Amino acid sequence: MSIQRLSRRDRGPELATAPFAFFPVALAGAIFLALLIKAWPLLSLKSLSSLIFSSTWLPSRGHFGLWPFILGTIWVTISAFVLAVPVAILTSLYLSEYAPARVKRIFQPILDLLAGLPSVIYGMWGVLIVVPLVSKYLAPFFGRQSSGYSILAASLVLALMILPTIISVSVEVLNSVPLALKEAALSLGATRFEVIRYVVMKKSFPGMLAACVLGLSRAFGETIAVLMVVGNVPAIPRSLFSPAYPLPALLANNYGEMMSIPGYESALNLAALLLLVIVVGFSLLARWYLVRISRRSS
Amino acid sequence: MNNEPERGIQRKLRKRLRVESFFKLLMAASTWLVLASLVLILAIILWKSLPALKLSMITRNPGSGYYLGREGGILNAILGSLQVVFGATLLALAIALPAVVFLTSYLRQKSWLAELIRFSLDVLWGIPSIVYGAFGFLIMITFHLRASLLAGMITVAMVELPILSRALEETIRLVPSDLKEATYSLGASRWQTATRVVLRQVFPGLVTAVLMAMGRGLGDAAAVLFTAGYTDKITTSLLQPVATLPLAIFFQLNSPFPEVQQRAYASAAILTVLVLFISLASRRLSRRLGRHKIS
Amino acid sequence: MNQTSRLRVENLNVFYGQNHVLKNISLSLPDNRITVIIGPSGCGKTTLLRSLNRLLDEQEGVRVEGRVFLDGQDIYQPGVDITLVRKRMGLLSQKPQVLPMSIYDNVAFGPRLLGLRDRRHLDDLVEKYLRLAGLWEEVKGRLQEPASRLSIGQQQRLCLARGLAVEPEVILGDEPTSALDPQSSRNVETQLLNLKENYTIVLVTHILRQARRLADYVAFLYFGELIEFGPASEVLISPRDSRTRAYITGEIS
Ligand SMILES: Nc1ncnc2c1ncn2[C@@H]1O[C@H](COP(=O)(O)OP(=O)(O)OP(=O)(O)O)[C@@H](O)[C@H]1O
Ligand SMILES: [Mg+2]
Repeated sequence: MSIQRLSRRDRGPELATAPFAFFPVALAGAIFLALLIKAWPLLSLKSLSSLIFSSTWLPSRGHFGLWPFILGTIWVTISAFVLAVPVAILTSLYLSEYAPARVKRIFQPILDLLAGLPSVIYGMWGVLIVVPLVSKYLAPFFGRQSSGYSILAASLVLALMILPTIISVSVEVLNSVPLALKEAALSLGATRFEVIRYVVMKKSFPGMLAACVLGLSRAFGETIAVLMVVGNVPAIPRSLFSPAYPLPALLANNYGEMMSIPGYESALNLAALLLLVIVVGFSLLARWYLVRISRRSS
Repeated sequence: MNNEPERGIQRKLRKRLRVESFFKLLMAASTWLVLASLVLILAIILWKSLPALKLSMITRNPGSGYYLGREGGILNAILGSLQVVFGATLLALAIALPAVVFLTSYLRQKSWLAELIRFSLDVLWGIPSIVYGAFGFLIMITFHLRASLLAGMITVAMVELPILSRALEETIRLVPSDLKEATYSLGASRWQTATRVVLRQVFPGLVTAVLMAMGRGLGDAAAVLFTAGYTDKITTSLLQPVATLPLAIFFQLNSPFPEVQQRAYASAAILTVLVLFISLASRRLSRRLGRHKIS
Repeated sequence: MNQTSRLRVENLNVFYGQNHVLKNISLSLPDNRITVIIGPSGCGKTTLLRSLNRLLDEQEGVRVEGRVFLDGQDIYQPGVDITLVRKRMGLLSQKPQVLPMSIYDNVAFGPRLLGLRDRRHLDDLVEKYLRLAGLWEEVKGRLQEPASRLSIGQQQRLCLARGLAVEPEVILGDEPTSALDPQSSRNVETQLLNLKENYTIVLVTHILRQARRLADYVAFLYFGELIEFGPASEVLISPRDSRTRAYITGEIS
């Protein structure tokens, strides 16, 4: 059987599958272009920086400052991340290094289920539990007033929502550290914690980072769960207890019925474009960094 | 033997062990905190939904005055969600499967084309579903479509596509290259290798990937928000609007009537059960189908 | 000659779940000698070795009964500190397991755990133990490079140096040359022979010729039982038990 004949016989399927492989390329390009074209009317009137950094959002008067929404997105995402990551790392270390097999067996299916639980359910839970918790207990505790619909509530809900994902990916990463390596360190007289700190953490750092990035990019774009508890007030947030209006919530609340006011449609498409650029840019940056460290360490 | 360093080591060791116990305690505490809060979510949904969980919830459509607290169920949304998700998953699979076969079997892994396709998949993977929703809406108005089952399916398919592709690629890449070479050396074409050997090897992974994508599609509210519409009837045509569970929950929750809110909780419980079912099925199936796999 | 033994095993039984893997083993490992454990695959050699420094404790579902004495103290007594026990026994595993850090830090890992911070002192220790493992000349110019860049044979000697740096009394080796090329194996063997003056060495091997080259004493394990233990000259040349003879002549493996 010659190579040539083998490859001639293969031409058909190759040509048949190729277009499908280009579909992702086309789709990514199309989304970007469509949003850009739709946002263009506004972009040709005002400078991008004036749209991004202005904080006046009055569509009926033609003011489309997106700054409060951008800040809202960043606040909510970063605080969720800060809440989730330490807990996720501690938990995944416990699960992979200390927990008895029985505990792992209980945990795994619960994590799987909750990683796949729809966000509307997390949002519902936020409305039922977290919002009252913030308004009745947390805010007064810090000497503040809050309706409960706040950045803090949103980030608590979001943190809980991304925890199962981060934890199960991290546990997988940690489990891939060879047992023999841990034993080598143990037999030098290290305690288990020292093995974790100096060997396991070091070995699994890129993987853990990837797990966190996964959680973070999910948090960035989360819509419904956040929308339900964040208050949706288009103003610059002052503290964790004030409401905010992240970009996805802005889109969800207004995108479907935006036709009447001039420039409004453009502004919302610009918001979508910004969200896209922020999230994608961020995850590409993380990916690039991960590739770099994994190349350096090998 | 002199005893001075020995004693120093003993003292330091006690400190090291204290550090260890401290962190171990911290880890255990955070684990139980996580478990407790997650179980609390499930418990509260169940508890809140109990008063409204009647059989009619899953056997009937919303009757007249349903949103004021009268009789009815959410059969429309349950069926609608399933319609959207099955259609979307088929659509996504129809694209992802050949795309991934091409990517893994016909392209050299380091070629710029492979890099470009992978890069686009990464980009798509990062795009939030609300942006897909917006894009789906733009397509709709361009083609003068109404919010409909078809539009919802297309949008959810876009959300599922990168999830599915990534999972498929990972499982295909795990097929030992020895196996591929062994098949080539039997005179099989790449296509035959891809379809008869590789696909059979990755079948368990394929099933899990599909189920995972379905789970994601089932719960995604943002993608169907502007594209699928909503209806109180059962949808029978691709061009009619369709009700979906996440939106049913969302709308009922915003109602001022406590009875309707309770039904939101019940709907949430139903959605949870569906997701639970999918997650259990994927565990079970991947274990059962994995028996013949060569590793 | 009357041998002293600081490491003694008494009536040791090990179970993996229901599986009785080591059956009533009693053994005194002579000081400053190399004891080689041989036996067919799956007979429990690794398990015996890992029971000596309580690495078995790290696994779930393992039950250990019996006693292991180190300098007269039963290391399986409750209240005994495992880290100190392990510090007194260096371990060489089948594949070299370098820690994910530089060559220098690998050797300094143990001393640092014990609280040694002084840079000059550490430098001296690193050099001393790298020399002792016969690696110093090859790596002295690149101590700060990641240890994973070394060849496999060098990595195994680095593991030896790292183990020596915590000043153990016993060296345990589980087929330490099985992943190495012949030249590197020889190199490791030479180091072990040099070290036996000051250390008690316990070695598991599959290679009978290696056993002949290194062993002062030989223990033969068969299906979890200790069949024969004695000076190498006796066990390897004129074994008393027919099963030992069969193994040595290659009839069972
Ligand atoms: N973690 C484990 N769980 C259950 N059984 C085990 C485990 N490790 C080893 N065993 C069993 O214990 C027995 C002894 O294993 P061990 O690894 O000590 O053998 P060995 O003599 O070192 O073999 P080899 O020469 O192949 O390395 C074997 O039957 C093995 O199947
Ligand atoms: Mg072994």
